[in-house]
Amino acid sequence: MGHDIFEITINAIKLIVCFLIIVQAVPVLVWAERRGSAFIQNRLGPNRIGPLGLLQLAADAVKFFFKEEFAPANAVKFLYYAAPIFALIPATVAFAAIPLGAPVQWNEHIFRLQGYEINVGIVFILAVSSLAPYSILMAGWGSGNKYALMGALRASAQVISYELALGLSIVGMIMTYGTFNLSEMIQAQQAPLSYSLLGFTLPLNFLPAWGIFYQPLGAILFFAASFAESNRLPFDLAEGEAELVAGFHVEYGGFKMLLFFIGEYGHMIVASALMVLFYFGGYVIPGIPMETLNQWALEHAPDANFASLLAGLITLVCFLVKVVVFLWIFIQVRWTLPRFRYDQLMDLGWKTMLPWALFNTILTATLIYVAHL
Amino acid sequence: MPSSDLFLEVGLSHYLVLSAILFVAGMAGVLLRRNAIVILMSVELMLNAVNLSFVAFSHYMGQMDGQIMVFFVMTIAAAEVSVGLAILVSIFKRYKEVNIRFFEHLKG
Amino acid sequence: MTADVFLFWFLAIVTLAGGLTTIMITNPIYSALSLAFTMVGVSALFVTLNAYFLAGVQLIVYAGAVTVLFVMVLMMFDLKHEVTAFTRGKISGMVKSGIVAVLAGILVGSISLTTDIFSKSGAAPEAVIGGDTTKELGKVLFSKYIFGFEALGILLLMVAIGAVALARSKGGTHAKQ
Repeated sequence: MGHDIFEITINAIKLIVCFLIIVQAVPVLVWAERRGSAFIQNRLGPNRIGPLGLLQLAADAVKFFFKEEFAPANAVKFLYYAAPIFALIPATVAFAAIPLGAPVQWNEHIFRLQGYEINVGIVFILAVSSLAPYSILMAGWGSGNKYALMGALRASAQVISYELALGLSIVGMIMTYGTFNLSEMIQAQQAPLSYSLLGFTLPLNFLPAWGIFYQPLGAILFFAASFAESNRLPFDLAEGEAELVAGFHVEYGGFKMLLFFIGEYGHMIVASALMVLFYFGGYVIPGIPMETLNQWALEHAPDANFASLLAGLITLVCFLVKVVVFLWIFIQVRWTLPRFRYDQLMDLGWKTMLPWALFNTILTATLIYVAHL
Repeated sequence: MPSSDLFLEVGLSHYLVLSAILFVAGMAGVLLRRNAIVILMSVELMLNAVNLSFVAFSHYMGQMDGQIMVFFVMTIAAAEVSVGLAILVSIFKRYKEVNIRFFEHLKG
Repeated sequence: MTADVFLFWFLAIVTLAGGLTTIMITNPIYSALSLAFTMVGVSALFVTLNAYFLAGVQLIVYAGAVTVLFVMVLMMFDLKHEVTAFTRGKISGMVKSGIVAVLAGILVGSISLTTDIFSKSGAAPEAVIGGDTTKELGKVLFSKYIFGFEALGILLLMVAIGAVALARSKGGTHAKQ
């Protein structure tokens, strides 16, 4: 954790803040989704309470808190109550491993703007998010309802299937940058873009060396698979209203339902953050290298500590802006595309995305081999 | 009488004893349980115990070979589970039961 | 007591509790869930041994795939509380428990006799691998053990075909009847 009491305190606070970011972002996202969907569908959405309807969130929260505490008669009580809590774990733990901004140098301490630095960060995030099916299965089984169970089985089968394509689409990135470490991956993406193969070099200096320019196919596959991983439309087979009512959380209401909501939106936030990290340069502002930013901060801050803090905060804002763009794409896709049928979903995962991800891996390996000849 | 070092100094033998206890627990599960799925789970427990001792040896001996073995064990365990569960699913379709006393006779 | 020692004892207790619950509890679903708990504990123990990559793979493969398969199959079977969870015969049960106890004694005894147990000279400290070992792991895997790796690939292909053949023998998710 740290070497003295100051460092330990700051690191503990960072962990709490990372958790709070996920939890507090959810009401805002829900509001954005309701207003955004209303505009997409030519409606108004919640606009009565507060400016732009923003206080609707508070009203909803109060409503959730005061709902009746209720468990169905057939429920397995332990699993029924444990499932919403487990739904929070994967997203929040994974989010804490994501670097949100440039490291801050405060005297002799270095604080990274992330919950904890892990050297194999990508593997850790994949591993933690692979625990997501448990909460779904526990909810589906614990509710004692056949629709809930069907929804849970569908959802977990879907999550497991798409995890393969997700993991394979990142392998290309890992090979390109040669690291599992998220911070090193961002460092590698700062340089200007240039392709070099067999002695020829094609410099494109006006573009940064973002992952999307090296791995366009991987980026598309990763983004599509992360839709399925977070159980969002067009892959939200877990809650096909026509045949399954609301899927695995059909028996949940009130605060327990809210926890599932936080889990789902947390997955969205983690997926968007990973998208930004892998393919869009992380917290670095496009066009402005970190050295320029640090220099600018030094000129505008009283001393080196505050300059470092200022640079960290600016990169944090930049990262959040990029994440918000992808969150909006998540919302827009949900309200514009129809839902897949279950067999179409499985065919897409196993027969289309997995082979293309494999092809991407092999192609990347070949190109790297040829480039290093 | 073990000294207080037993609790304050964690070494290779601690990991080995933990792995041995886990392995024996898995073996007890295989011998004593009657549900075929739980028996498969106990086999997984035994494999995990072996993995733990492999990694502990690899760490304390300073060689990577133990970790490679863990890779192989994990892959084979995953393969074994997928085939085992597929067999159990077809058994369940036939007998509507996965307790081993229902299919201990070979005659169909 | 340093943080490492505390972590080891904590994880050891957690892992053992999970493992024992797996074999003792009569409801198979709880059994599978506590197995998942054990897997997470073992993965954390890998982290204390500096095998970070293996810890991640352990979570992905065991906790994320294998045990989820167990849970899904159990939920599809809809097995409730079992009547005969444990072996029936009293004598054979005692014999089996005795065998297990003897094996436990032999294992722990041989470990304690052979590794100079519970003393500081148990492991040579200079041999301990420190830091991250992922890169060396990859190098060894793809050079020294490349044959085993390829053989494993063929094994996985065969297993995939076999599992599909078994599952499709009557129906399956895409059954056309």
